[in-house]
Amino acid sequence: MDFFSSMRVSTSALNAHLVQLNSITSNLANTKTTRGAHSGPYLKKEVIFSAQVDRENFAEILENEFDEHVQGVQVIEIIENPKHLQKVYEPNHPDADSQGYITLPGINPVEEIANLITCQRSYEANVTALEASKSMYTKTLMVIG
Amino acid sequence: MFDFTIHALKTSLNLRTLKHNILCSNISNENTPGYQAKKVEFETQLRDALHLENRLPKFGTHTDHFIFTQLDAIHPNVYEDPYGNPSLNGNTVNRTAEMAELTENQLLYETSLELLKKKISLLKYAISEGERSH
Repeated sequence: MDFFSSMRVSTSALNAHLVQLNSITSNLANTKTTRGAHSGPYLKKEVIFSAQVDRENFAEILENEFDEHVQGVQVIEIIENPKHLQKVYEPNHPDADSQGYITLPGINPVEEIANLITCQRSYEANVTALEASKSMYTKTLMVIG
Repeated sequence: MFDFTIHALKTSLNLRTLKHNILCSNISNENTPGYQAKKVEFETQLRDALHLENRLPKFGTHTDHFIFTQLDAIHPNVYEDPYGNPSLNGNTVNRTAEMAELTENQLLYETSLELLKKKISLLKYAISEGERSH
């Protein structure tokens, strides 16, 4: 239980939110992509966060009863969600099927921008927390000097 | 040499470090589905311990007895916030409240630290015989 553990926790959140930021920008860039990485259209990427107990090594499990309450965050999965796919009638499109429909990723840009703002605010909150840890640690060092 | 005040400041710093870690954990999990915000409670216990300490006899009944301070008995409560307002994904972290608490906790930590520095500088002053030069 020290400041490094809170720093690790904040850093884990920064990493997780960067992954989320990447998936949001990727979704925004591909709102009209009919050919994704696999066969078929681009699929909307959704990031799943999960709370993880902060532990550096096995010995720490035995060390402190409060450690289990200090939890970082980790991206456990990036889901490519096909539920959003949308059929649009565009018979002249090269990817149109026999009925003249194309399949779009069905990404709602407004929703993505809203997620982007939330993600950015969370990132900033974690940077502030990290700076607080740093300042507290530095000031503690000053007691010696 | 290390008196009760230093012991109290040490306890306060330790507890504030714990609270800082828990607050950081809450802030980092503000987007995690189902995460329950955690709270730390120790202020009442700390206040009671400081209050009791002044009322109890300073010395044991026998010279061989150890003197335990009330501070050693402080056990912080970490619990899930029962009044948290869950969002659509079941998360109960309130970012504004957490940031405010983080700042408050940081200031109080630094206050304890400053007081500790003062105590140590007084000790140093005494050790060096008031900076007397020969």
